Amino acid sequence: MKLGPRASRLLLAAWFAACFVFSAITDPIWLAALQIAIALVFWKQAPAAARRTALSAVPLTLFLILASWGWVRFVAHQTPDLRAYAALALRASLIAFTSFAVLARVDLLAALAPWPTLMRLLVIILGQVHALRLLVSESLLGLRSRLPRKPRALDVVRDAGGLTATLLTLASKNARDISDAMRSRGF
Amino acid sequence: MHIPDGFLAPTITLPAYAISAPLWVWAARKHFGPNQVEALPAVGALTAVAFVLQTIMIPVPGGTSTHLIGAALLALAQGPLVAFVCESLVLLVQALFFGAGGITALGVNALAMGLLGPLCAWLVFRGLRRASPRLAALLAAYLGMQVSTLAVALTLGLQHHLSPAIFPTPFPVMIAAMMLPSLTVAGIVEGLYTMLALRLLERVRGKAAS
Repeated sequence: MKLGPRASRLLLAAWFAACFVFSAITDPIWLAALQIAIALVFWKQAPAAARRTALSAVPLTLFLILASWGWVRFVAHQTPDLRAYAALALRASLIAFTSFAVLARVDLLAALAPWPTLMRLLVIILGQVHALRLLVSESLLGLRSRLPRKPRALDVVRDAGGLTATLLTLASKNARDISDAMRSRGF
Repeated sequence: MHIPDGFLAPTITLPAYAISAPLWVWAARKHFGPNQVEALPAVGALTAVAFVLQTIMIPVPGGTSTHLIGAALLALAQGPLVAFVCESLVLLVQALFFGAGGITALGVNALAMGLLGPLCAWLVFRGLRRASPRLAALLAAYLGMQVSTLAVALTLGLQHHLSPAIFPTPFPVMIAAMMLPSLTVAGIVEGLYTMLALRLLERVRGKAAS
């Protein structure tokens, strides 16, 4: 169950402060302990938050860490500090996990109610992002079907210009519709 | 290119917020205040387009990939302050809902990708557009991308200098890993894309006006 507006705002403020505190911790043991503690506090949201963290923050962070480690080891011919890299990975996943768990617990729109402009903007952006991602997927499919071979980076760039003009036209129209609908409902 | 959460300590992220926050308030009031309520749909649309553009990944030799920023186009079409607000919103949405970038690094990312790069692109475009608008757009976006990447690499280098326990990768390694793809692939693609998109936008505007 989502929290009420006031509790949501308090939890968001605590989460924001906690993220900064977590980003200063360098001990992997402390970071692992905090990860367990946060998972226990948000035990209902933990499975979904862990799944989202594993899909979003973990691959990117692991890739960055492995690339950095590889460069340090094989290009700079230095010995990488594994403890620091482990702490980096744990810190990144801890903050991402906490963020997803907290955002699943709070009612973001109710918490943002005192700032209707921000709420309208967020709704418009999220609605647009969803619509435009669908449009981009369809455009890329269209590009693939027009070319006898697999599209290369240059083909995508050449098509991106035309795609942007279509996206902007469609996005402006949709955004205006959403904004008018929200304003007419008192937002 | 975004710096994720956990890569920077509060010694860098808090001052970045302190610089960004007044700029966000000033830019938002100037361009999207209560008197400009009609501007909200346009901001939402531009932000969403920039967001979607950042999801188009360009493969880089070596098995990695990079992405367009789209902020240079925003700066050239709407001005650097609008680009700053829109790019910051893109970064906020990515950090909150998609786990890309981070909430603690938002100030740093916004300054690097939303302000410094687009501002550089806007200045270069203004300086060169009389000679050749197309070439100016290409060069502006290319240089804007390099400035953004350099700012991110310098920030990570500063973090390593301040505390290697937080960010263990040394600056020479970081700058090579970040600038090589940016100089050779991402900058060129961003430049070409910005040039083509700007030309098309002008054509669409011309048709709408006539």
